[in-house]
Amino acid sequence: MIRRRMLAAVGLAMATLLPLTACGGGEDEAEGGPVELTVAVWSLASTPEFQTLFDAFHKANPDITIKPVDILAADYPTKVTTMLAGGDSTDVITMKTLADYVRFAGRGQLADVTDLATKPESAKLAGLDQYKQDGDKYYALPYRQDHWVLYYNKKMFDTAKLPYPENLTWDQYVEAAKKLTTGTGDKKVYGAYQHTWRSVVQAISAAQNGGDQLGGDYKFFAEQYRTALALQEAGATQDFGTAVTQKTGYASMFESQKTAMLPMGTWFIAKLLSEKKKGTTDVDWGIAPMPQRTGASGVTTFGAPTAFAVNKKAKHAAAAKKFVEFAASIEGAKAIAGIGVVPALKTDEVLQQYFALQGMPTDELSKKAFSPDKINPEMPVSDKTAKVDTVLNEEHQLIMTKQKSIDDAIKEMETRVKNEIG
Amino acid sequence: MADLLTAPTAAPGAAPSPPRARPRRARRNTLIGWSFILPNFLGFALLTLVPVAGALALSFMEWDSYNPPEWVGLDNFERLLRDESTMIALRNTAYYALGHVPLTMLAALGLALLLNRRLRGVGFFRAAAFFPYVTSLVAVAIVWNMLFNPEFGPVNQFLSWLGVDSPPGWTTSVDWAMPAVILTSVWRDMGYYMVLFLAGLQAIPTEHHEAARVDGANAWQRFRAVTLPGLRPVTFLVLILLTVQSFKVFDLVVVMTDGGPGRATLVLSQQIYRRGIIEGEFGYASAISLVLFLLVLVLTLTQFWFNNRRERS
Repeated sequence: MIRRRMLAAVGLAMATLLPLTACGGGEDEAEGGPVELTVAVWSLASTPEFQTLFDAFHKANPDITIKPVDILAADYPTKVTTMLAGGDSTDVITMKTLADYVRFAGRGQLADVTDLATKPESAKLAGLDQYKQDGDKYYALPYRQDHWVLYYNKKMFDTAKLPYPENLTWDQYVEAAKKLTTGTGDKKVYGAYQHTWRSVVQAISAAQNGGDQLGGDYKFFAEQYRTALALQEAGATQDFGTAVTQKTGYASMFESQKTAMLPMGTWFIAKLLSEKKKGTTDVDWGIAPMPQRTGASGVTTFGAPTAFAVNKKAKHAAAAKKFVEFAASIEGAKAIAGIGVVPALKTDEVLQQYFALQGMPTDELSKKAFSPDKINPEMPVSDKTAKVDTVLNEEHQLIMTKQKSIDDAIKEMETRVKNEIG
Repeated sequence: MADLLTAPTAAPGAAPSPPRARPRRARRNTLIGWSFILPNFLGFALLTLVPVAGALALSFMEWDSYNPPEWVGLDNFERLLRDESTMIALRNTAYYALGHVPLTMLAALGLALLLNRRLRGVGFFRAAAFFPYVTSLVAVAIVWNMLFNPEFGPVNQFLSWLGVDSPPGWTTSVDWAMPAVILTSVWRDMGYYMVLFLAGLQAIPTEHHEAARVDGANAWQRFRAVTLPGLRPVTFLVLILLTVQSFKVFDLVVVMTDGGPGRATLVLSQQIYRRGIIEGEFGYASAISLVLFLLVLVLTLTQFWFNNRRERS
């Protein structure tokens, strides 16, 4: 009897206490004293720029320590959406993509940092314009901006006795890729590797043709798709279907020297530098400007900025703003440039430091690739972006796996964007 | 009013006062009983019942997960009918279920019959058949994807060795992606349902088989007249479990094809995830999940109804 009563008491106590424990924790707001700032970031271990920035910031502000909130890169947007919806008080939120930023800002989940963005120092930040909301408001400040370049394997070009890929047109790019393709089976080396992302075809096409990816008229994609399919039909790049089913990594393709050329974002530089230092690859690499349309003047490519924003419900708003400002400042830019990451603030001083890095190619072509004449946004942002992105991506797969002709798929993109999104 | 006045005078005589100790003990026993299920029930109520009720309400609203939801009535459902992707997802889910449910049942039953005998190393073979089920689903999806590779995959190499001229493109082809997903899921799930069928087979009294044999029934007749009817309760359970599981399919598709190529393998739960979590339209996503819930409910009830009718006859 007694035992049973005790069991009942324990059962009841457990039942009532369990939900209570979830509501623990309180506020400890004490500005001025030592502050522990929380920053939401992705895959901290494989994204060294975050720790580098944190260390530099802590050095400049010894009373503020930073506690990263580490989130798996692939889950980052959904995880942050859930966190913010739940009223999370993480101070600084990294804006992985512009589309995420527009969504969070549109819902009023981010604090206004217009005062930081309109400071004269901020005028030089590349990509700042893309964060402008409601006419003149800013809710985030970019600290890095990547753009797309053409990575190439110098040794393979030397062996094939081809000149390095300077000022290529897309047709010349396909021709070079065909010449650089060698071997069969396991020994196969592709002339180029076009990754499976839709941006590889669509964003570059929009950037160089002046097309609007949200516009609902997609005829400007056609030419670039013909290039991509020509490359695939010649066997000069890995077949799209194979790349998808094998989950081919673009990094391992280039680092294990399975491809001579790789169009990719500048974020890959930092990884190449560190992998080479570790000795996991000995690829002799350089970067060149992206191939251009025939008859185009100057170098046009696309890119996307990355920014820090302050959570509207931040526990330490003042310190959070300080961090956001620091990351976009010359000190922050130098810190991340020191590990091969491309800062949004590209002053001569920063660029010099960048090219002085150990292992960084210092030839003129690489330097030229680093300062293209025009960097257009990868994808314009609006509340329709996520939906249009889904449609364009689905039709992209159908073209690349040859399930639909280019013209049919483009027509389908147009009707779907018109009917489903309007 | 009259009741109120008459009740006090009538009550004492009408109800004989019961012994005081018994209801108290009964009440205490009930309380103790409740306290045992309380932790589980609280967990269920807080983590399942409340969200389900919330989703039901949300399907009539528009909500971005942050700002207050807005009542929109039946708009979400109207939109659902016009949304081509949702309709495609519905069709694909039905396609998947129509392939996955019967094939898994057949494979599981076949395995169970094969392994329901005294045979050297039967334990090993049973474990081998069950093994896919305990393997991580992500690993299963990735490995099968490679097996299905149209150019270098062993599946197509085997097919061309058999003399098939143009083997299918599997996950890179609009027509073959869903069969590839179905085959993978059958391979993964058959071991689990085999265990259920094995238990059912062993519950069939051996006397029935012996009697049938004495009457001169051959193996096929014994299977039809003894084994299948004896398995009915298990078959029904397996059918319900498989149907529910098929309509909820998500993880396998996400890892294997992510709905592609195009929308060839887009399923309902994936569409809910995309519209809700990715595009931030929680009201609309809730409306789709309500439809999915009703669909599964109706199907399950129909199956129950059929089963009851057959049991009675």
